[in-house]
Amino acid sequence: MNMLNPILARLKKMPRAALITIGLFVALGTFAPWLAPQDPSAQNLLEAGLGPMAAHWLGTDHLGRDTFSRLIIAANTSLVSVGSVLGIAMTIGIVLGTIAGYHRGWVDDLLMRIVDVGLSVPSLIISLAVIGIVGPGYWTMVLALALAWWPMSGRISRAVAVSIMSKPHIEALRVLGASPWRIYFGHLLPGTIGSVMVYATADAGTAALAVATLSFLGLGIQPPTPEWGQMLVDALPYLESDPRQVLLPGLALTAAVIGFNTLGESIALNRIPKPLTRRMLAARRLEVASWDKENSDA
Amino acid sequence: MIHFISKRLKHSLVLLFMASLVCFTLVVSAPGNVAVLIAELRGAVATPGYVEQVAEEIGLHKPLLMRYVDWLGDAVRGDFGISYRTGTDVSADLANRMFVTGTLIVGSAAIATLISLALGFLGAFWPYKLPDRVSRGLALLGASTPTFFVGALMIYGFSVTFQLLPSFGFNGPKSWILPWLTVAVLPAAVLSRVVRVGLEEAMTSPFVLTAKSKGLGRTAILFREALPNITPLFINALGTQVGLMTATAIIVEPLFAWQGLGDYFLAGVRFRDFMVVQACLLIFLTFFIVVNLIVDLAVLLTDPRIRRQWS
Repeated sequence: MNMLNPILARLKKMPRAALITIGLFVALGTFAPWLAPQDPSAQNLLEAGLGPMAAHWLGTDHLGRDTFSRLIIAANTSLVSVGSVLGIAMTIGIVLGTIAGYHRGWVDDLLMRIVDVGLSVPSLIISLAVIGIVGPGYWTMVLALALAWWPMSGRISRAVAVSIMSKPHIEALRVLGASPWRIYFGHLLPGTIGSVMVYATADAGTAALAVATLSFLGLGIQPPTPEWGQMLVDALPYLESDPRQVLLPGLALTAAVIGFNTLGESIALNRIPKPLTRRMLAARRLEVASWDKENSDA
Repeated sequence: MIHFISKRLKHSLVLLFMASLVCFTLVVSAPGNVAVLIAELRGAVATPGYVEQVAEEIGLHKPLLMRYVDWLGDAVRGDFGISYRTGTDVSADLANRMFVTGTLIVGSAAIATLISLALGFLGAFWPYKLPDRVSRGLALLGASTPTFFVGALMIYGFSVTFQLLPSFGFNGPKSWILPWLTVAVLPAAVLSRVVRVGLEEAMTSPFVLTAKSKGLGRTAILFREALPNITPLFINALGTQVGLMTATAIIVEPLFAWQGLGDYFLAGVRFRDFMVVQACLLIFLTFFIVVNLIVDLAVLLTDPRIRRQWS
């Protein structure tokens, strides 16, 4: 529970529309196999390129596959890949970040230099370089993206770890003679994981975008597994005759990313004190005036 | 000033050295035998004897350090070896492709600068009013829409529906507009927020209060006081975005059938053509380092506070 508390506290401050979008995405992704009305890979060339109708709510693609089912299953593909990427990246980032934050000194310097370099090169170029050397495939994609993603969580967890290490209760533990293991696993790690996970959720949008981009380039999720980016590139040659098949997966992906980005922005904004507006200043003045009154009454 | 520049140059050289090490290690650590690949490329059956001969020829038996020095020496002189897939000289392909990608990045950077300044100023002029909300909404939309989807929408809107602009090819300014716009959307969105937030911060600083008390108008304050103040900030953010454009180019170039560096890199990745991947990666990394250097020097020129610190 200790780990969940910061998450729950922050959840209350987040924009509701973004939370609903993300909730919808996660729910669709989780229950996709039961929600999809038809087999997403079943081809029927006689029914290719149809418009919306009772049997196919959003029409069919150029191979006669049901677009609605494919969009839903794609949410699942996306969710699973993003989850694995962020899971691996966060594990690497949290472990290295907390080690840097615990030890400081040259370990910290070295790790943070690596993080700096990792953050300054676009993640797409890092992951493509890895794929180019190892060869394409699902797990190559996940690992390549995780490799491009860990510096982000590494930097955040290092910052959180440093702030935890400077808190008085850690000093008290040291004075009491607690072992480094107890401080690390009992206090530093649990405290870091909670905060880093909040940031990682905000990052999920860019991760979903990266998965879709790699699939769009033909180096991520391979057909016939439906994925939004890959559905889009699949339908691109038929843009002129059937633009719906390009628009729908694009819109679905954009909606998911907007949800995560709005969430990320609100998380970032919660950290930065907002400038006072005129109305807030007036309210503050009134409040200060009332303090004065209370004091004089007493 | 001179001290700063020389320090910064040294820093860049160290980074360049590290970048070259990364590129070299990536290819050396690649699984599979390079000699077999080359032997097969030359159309011969890869008999052990022939593979051995090829390995000897390209220096696979030399110590790693020697191979690195040889490779770096060639790379500095602009020789990136031959493509494993086509057998052609990588350097010969590079020159032309660098021009294509250069056109893409320069045009997009200019468009992104214009759009972001316009949106940012709109928001800062009417803070928390309708124009600000519109500009913020556009920024969120631009930053969240996948680049390949933006490209598809551009093609659908401008080429398919209205048939105004060509949807592919690299011939003349008319065919450059759509790729430019596609690449510019994301940086324009991000930069508009930088401008908006930077202006807001500048507008709450004491020197603006002074300007206000002098009786200066809002427009005058925004352009004369706040704009010079956010210039270093903007240049910094623009530099980051220009670096990111190399990644966007990888997506956009194939979409519009441009034969640029991004397209080359992607083809190299697809066919595991290590020499191409290596050469492109080295060029990209060098590009980031050079852009960062230029940004730091430009910030030094535009920010008197930093200039004073170093003089």
